[in-house]
Amino acid sequence: MATRFLSLREGSIIVVTIVTIVYFASSTSNYFTYANFKGLLPYFCFLAIMAAGQVFVMTLGEIDLSIGALYLFTPFMYWKLTQAGIPLVPSLILSLVIGAGLGAVNGIFVAYVGIASFVATLAMLFFLDGLTLIISHSEQISMPGTSVVHVGTFAQIFGAGTYSELIWAIAIAIVLQIVLALTRWGIYTVATGGNRLGAAEAGINVRLVVLRNFMLCAVTAGIAGILEGVRTSSITPDPSGSNQFLLYAVAAVIIGGTLMTGGEGTVIGALIGALFIGVLQDGMAIKGVSADYLYFYLGIAVIIAMTMNVLVRRVRVRSGRA
Amino acid sequence: MPDAEKAFAGERIEALHAAADDVLRVEHIAKRFGPITALRDVNLHLRKGEVLGLLGDNGAGKSTLIKILCGFHRPDSGSMWCKGQPYAPKSVDDARAHGIDTVYQDLALVDQLTAYQNLFLHREKLFSPLPFLNNMMMRRESRKALDEIGINIPRLDVPVARLSGGQRQAIAVARTVSSEADILLLDEPLAAMGAKEGGMILDLIGRLKEEGRVSIMMILHNYVHVFAACDRVSLIADGVIALDKPTSGTTIDELNEIVVEQYRRARAAERAGREAQDNAA
Repeated sequence: MATRFLSLREGSIIVVTIVTIVYFASSTSNYFTYANFKGLLPYFCFLAIMAAGQVFVMTLGEIDLSIGALYLFTPFMYWKLTQAGIPLVPSLILSLVIGAGLGAVNGIFVAYVGIASFVATLAMLFFLDGLTLIISHSEQISMPGTSVVHVGTFAQIFGAGTYSELIWAIAIAIVLQIVLALTRWGIYTVATGGNRLGAAEAGINVRLVVLRNFMLCAVTAGIAGILEGVRTSSITPDPSGSNQFLLYAVAAVIIGGTLMTGGEGTVIGALIGALFIGVLQDGMAIKGVSADYLYFYLGIAVIIAMTMNVLVRRVRVRSGRA
Repeated sequence: MPDAEKAFAGERIEALHAAADDVLRVEHIAKRFGPITALRDVNLHLRKGEVLGLLGDNGAGKSTLIKILCGFHRPDSGSMWCKGQPYAPKSVDDARAHGIDTVYQDLALVDQLTAYQNLFLHREKLFSPLPFLNNMMMRRESRKALDEIGINIPRLDVPVARLSGGQRQAIAVARTVSSEADILLLDEPLAAMGAKEGGMILDLIGRLKEEGRVSIMMILHNYVHVFAACDRVSLIADGVIALDKPTSGTTIDELNEIVVEQYRRARAAERAGREAQDNAA
């Protein structure tokens, strides 16, 4: 039973997360409270959404470094579109379509031009960070469709409601986990990441698989950006902040059990990985620990989770399980 | 003059024995990869219901020819016919639509996927009209397909990375044999197999031949296998077909002789080239 649980891809991060929660719960008096639960949500929900898309790209054995920049750029695009007189929801959809287009650009450079994804998406990162600063004139804007005094239906749905981001995160994680595990899209992604030549020989259009997963990844980053913009009702063009989220999202994917080498991935693992990062941040906030310690502990946690993943893999091999 | 001598004398063997019941015919196929000429001028045909063995030394161009026939590579020049129609596959899928399926030398298996997922890779069964994979059905049909071949793989739901070389090969062969295809291209289907498993695959090919539905072209290294399984043998050397005979009309000795002769010629040419270089220097 214990072996069976640990042999889950997500096993080690579940254990690490539970241990962390138990630690914070036992060392603070007001951990299992509604207020703390509410306080935890904004730390991890948007990360889980960004990580969900990144899982697909990393299952391909690639990486998308532009998701932080897309997270920042998409709400600014949405703001620009509403300024042009387009209604809220169409603007929102259109901004995500533009995000998908930018993901397609990533995908074209990786799959068709043959540039390493690390390089192609690094270029996209700088390009979009710059573009965001240009179109925003480096000034904070208030998010269209939101208001500090009144939370309307639009805002309720797209991030400002207490559970809005949580529902989006869980819904996206479940849908994408099903896509990854139970559809052709998912199995072709695993096949392309596991054996690109073999997948091509089997007749899979591997370039298209790469392309569409970069598009998916860009859209999830855009959704996360818009939800966060609506939740906080304003956005600041701060590339260093958003690129921090890129690193958190990649950490969530890796400690969740997705291989960097491709061929294996789990969206649910990434969701729990994001939860772990949220628990860590939130717990340290209520313990009154300086945020400086966050990176320190996160570094330790990443190493512990990854070491467990490696050990668990050996158990799996020995027990002959998947 | 025997075919082999003609080939060495620089004459090319046209598809002499080409007949109306050819399911596959290629003429003057050439393919280069950068500075390397893989195929110079290949003429070849496959008759309905026959098993053709394709021989040749390493690097002779056998795999390249298979990959052109199955739509993975495009030839630089030459023409192909499939079942009487001009044939120019744009993709592996396109070739499949013509009824051509392939076992690749590298097996084209994805280590992380299970045996049944590999068997049905790019031919997945879905819960139509829903887009979800019908894993149960694929597992059941995989078991059936493997039983038909007579290969027992105890667990179909473990990643194929865990399986032995022979089992992996069996999955790759089962994938092609259980498809709808009626032209099977097998690139060294026996390479990683033990004697017992290899015997099973040869039996399977024998059964398929008796049924007469499919035509098979396979690359082999072991001459014993060629004489056990093939109706006819074609030998590729230096990018052209150097011999094309029914297996009943040739012997292991003759095939050996040709290959050895080929090797001597290559060595002589190499030496001549070196000497010319030295003289120039």
